[in-house]
Amino acid sequence: MNRRHLLMLGAGGFLGALLSRYSRADGPVRPPKAKAIVLLWMNGGPSHLETWDPKPGHANGGPTKAIKTSLAGLSVSENMPHIAQMASKLTVIRGMSSKEGNHQRAQYLMHTGYAPTPTVVHPSLGGWVSKKLGAPTNGLPAFVSLGGPSFGAGFLGVSNGPFVVQKAGAHPDNVAPETAGDRFARRQALLAQAEQRFAQQSASPMVDERRAVYGRAVSLMGSRDVGAFDVDDETQAVKTDYGDTDFGRGCIVARRLVTSGVRFVEVVQDGWDTHQNNFERTKAQLGIVDPAVAALVKDLDQRGLLASTLVVWLGDFGRTPRINGNEGRDHYPQAWSCALAGGGTKPGLVGGTDAGGEHVAGTAYGVPDLLATCAKLVGLDPREEAMSPVGRPIAITDGGQPIAPAMA
Amino acid sequence: MTFPVDLLSYVRRMSRVTTAALTIGLACGASLAFAQCGSSPTPHTASQTPKVVASIAPPVFGGPDVDALLAKAWAARGVTPSAAADDATFLRRVYIDVVGTIPPPEKVTAFIADTSPGKREKLVDELLGSPTYAEHWADYWEDELIGQARAQDIDRFALRLWLRDQFTKNTPWDKVVFSLITATGQNTVGGERSKSMGEAAKAIAASDTPINGAVNYVLKFRDTPQDWAGSASKTFLGVQIQCAQCHDHKTEKWKQQDFQKFAACFMRAQTVPLDGPMMKGLKRALVRDIDRPLPRFMKDNDLAVIGRATPTALDGTAMGGTLRESVATWITQNPWFAREAVNRVWAHFLGRGFIDPIDDIRPSNASDAPELEDALAKDFTDHHYDLKRLMRIVALSRAYGLSTVPAQGSPQDTKVPPVLWSRFRTSPLGPNELLDAVIDATQVDDALRRLGRFNVEELTERLRTLYGFVFDVDEEFDRPTFEGTITQALIGLNGRLIAGGSTALPGTAVARVARSEMTDAQKVEALYLRTLSRKPSAEETDTWTKYLANPPALSEPDPTTKPPMRKNGGNRGKGQFRPRNPGDPLARVNERVPETRDPKVAAVEDLMWTLLNSSEFVLNH
Repeated sequence: MNRRHLLMLGAGGFLGALLSRYSRADGPVRPPKAKAIVLLWMNGGPSHLETWDPKPGHANGGPTKAIKTSLAGLSVSENMPHIAQMASKLTVIRGMSSKEGNHQRAQYLMHTGYAPTPTVVHPSLGGWVSKKLGAPTNGLPAFVSLGGPSFGAGFLGVSNGPFVVQKAGAHPDNVAPETAGDRFARRQALLAQAEQRFAQQSASPMVDERRAVYGRAVSLMGSRDVGAFDVDDETQAVKTDYGDTDFGRGCIVARRLVTSGVRFVEVVQDGWDTHQNNFERTKAQLGIVDPAVAALVKDLDQRGLLASTLVVWLGDFGRTPRINGNEGRDHYPQAWSCALAGGGTKPGLVGGTDAGGEHVAGTAYGVPDLLATCAKLVGLDPREEAMSPVGRPIAITDGGQPIAPAMA
Repeated sequence: MTFPVDLLSYVRRMSRVTTAALTIGLACGASLAFAQCGSSPTPHTASQTPKVVASIAPPVFGGPDVDALLAKAWAARGVTPSAAADDATFLRRVYIDVVGTIPPPEKVTAFIADTSPGKREKLVDELLGSPTYAEHWADYWEDELIGQARAQDIDRFALRLWLRDQFTKNTPWDKVVFSLITATGQNTVGGERSKSMGEAAKAIAASDTPINGAVNYVLKFRDTPQDWAGSASKTFLGVQIQCAQCHDHKTEKWKQQDFQKFAACFMRAQTVPLDGPMMKGLKRALVRDIDRPLPRFMKDNDLAVIGRATPTALDGTAMGGTLRESVATWITQNPWFAREAVNRVWAHFLGRGFIDPIDDIRPSNASDAPELEDALAKDFTDHHYDLKRLMRIVALSRAYGLSTVPAQGSPQDTKVPPVLWSRFRTSPLGPNELLDAVIDATQVDDALRRLGRFNVEELTERLRTLYGFVFDVDEEFDRPTFEGTITQALIGLNGRLIAGGSTALPGTAVARVARSEMTDAQKVEALYLRTLSRKPSAEETDTWTKYLANPPALSEPDPTTKPPMRKNGGNRGKGQFRPRNPGDPLARVNERVPETRDPKVAAVEDLMWTLLNSSEFVLNH
């Protein structure tokens, strides 16, 4: 869609319709910039001092050196040279703080914006996006997770949950038919007959519901865009840029999927839980993640997709600024960093920590604020509610306020 | 002290009701001992020889007259119950609910043909006495207690074996829960994780140090005593106190202090690691009690508050001595313990508990049938929390034998859940049940064994993990709608297990049937009995025999398309092995199985595939 077209639309009913949806007393009205979210999930809790918030002058900083970046005021770990070079496109938030130091609870919190409780399973942000923005019409799902199970849509139903591909870059499990095409079609017809009979005999509504799910699966199998899941037709140059790693391939797939209309893609990189040998291990991790993240953002930008794709770099928590006896760092939710790109964010450095990286200096932002920011950027109202099965309305975020300095 | 006054008086009122005199009917049927019976259902784990184990206390006549109490409730609400379901339907249902798989086909024909009175009682007793009963319920409780936990010090097999032992012996349920909450000792033999139950059992038997599998439940909560308190309260008492962790409960009278005092009871179980942090495989640990809150919790501001609170039970009773024993005794002697167990079992069989969700007992969530619920809870308590007895009572009730079709004159919209269980509900099979049903129906495990190169037990275990993740079903509250995922559908459509099971590989049921001398009609019947546990109708027989007699021609494989997926790969000539379905444990079943060129065999395969993918197979109804 070219700019002229957008302007014409903006002048007319499009904006008018949006006005009624977005008008609130407190802020200017803007149509959503982002159409999709890519969540780069750093599983295990990446050390902020070895990534976005190095402290080379301080005892806590350990051996990690810092390098300048193309973003004024931002230095990052020396092990992120690719990101340093394109950081002028990034919004780096150093002033994050939360309360969950247990992996399971922290991962739940990061994905849903709520601490876990046994009474209700909160939908993840991916689930909300799937429900509210809907799946594309080409048969692909709305929410895909590459390399990890992600978190489901809770009470919004499994149809809004993630479609999981264990190994990024490979064709998803079971999408190719086991038999020849005409035999597959014959089997579908035989099954439809049997289902109809059983629906009548049992009077069960589940038969039709199940048929609907099968229908969606068959649409996915036959989707002309199902090739978005694999990277075979990418050039060698692209594959080298992103890196010959599962995460690198996952980032390529993420770009391909959002091009094909998928709304929420999570790409998982495990291995950040560096209780021992933190420095070597984070260097190895960044060897994988640094080129891939830089390549993804630059690639989206070059293809004109960055404005409409919100990229989020996030993990369970930060890590203890005081180095432990095993050359490692332990769990530390009190202060940590995350990064955003595209989708209507404003590049820059937001917030910071004290000299030792132990406490947030100035405004501290919580997970609900981060998710409120993401929600707002894709055009959702963070305070919008849905009714949970126990009769309690649950909002998209737990009272989060969008982080104003991060938004354009 | 701010314990919830309303709750306390409610609890006291409940106790009075349960001690009131109730009508006790005679259970019909002559069979007393449900243990001494003939053949047990065919287990698919060939490593265990089927043996029948006597339970501790064979049931006697007695038990509340469930049918009369429910009929009274129906009459009071003007509800018309559905007609009774037929024998085949009942047989399949009770197999799935008691032992977690479908009946073998010979059992189906025998049961339908049996005209003796009391055949249902005999069937239920037989199932309750079989080793598959213990396996099924150990699986259920393993999932309930530790979910998908995969920490390095959690030995799932050890817990599962311990649970199986309890269910085989029919240990009174209060003793089982007491042992779980107070578990001490060593969790695992350690070392590399066993690949199958058989391996794990051998290792534990050979261990010099005694292993207490129940300790693995405690270890799930080693870092989160607040979650343990909430989980124990929810799972064993049906009380959702967890909301009060962060703020006074919004709708019930729990205060944050009540939660803290209760959670304080769970803070003194110390875990002593026996293996270093760099160890691979399962890590051994010792669990024991200390007499003060664990020091490491006291460093965390939120947990320190809990640690400083006076350990108190939910109704205000002070806890002392060894706190875990004290709180475990309080939990298992509380009237809500029996009530929660009754709700859970009733919901498992009937689809919806007396309260819904089953773990949300509170004054503002009223029971649907209080008199019946009380009668069952009292019977359960009076008979030493005997789960088999409770299940027997429920499985032989009239409500459990009803059809899924609404009665004439009652609301016909089946999207709305039935009132008071007046018709049976359809619900998806749980992941283990589905997997076991597929394996039993297809005998694909025999086929794999014949290939000689696979550890079938290990493969089955990995399939359980896959199915457990993909087909996870939340039993805790009634789900009237089918909530399936695309991934589940894809496994049915193209997954290797279903595909393998519906291919005429030597050893599979399909192969035997396709290559037999049976008539087409007999072949159809054989496969229906195997999968849907019933005979086909005349119409079905007609349709399928026509299909088998004149099967469609098979297309030639198109040489210009990708190579047939049946071969390992997807390597597309790049010279590098990349498994097609890396997450699928059967991806390595590297057998070149060319698609059959015989249209008659193909037709039988199509029939099997259709049956395995049908809702009738995948649902319990």
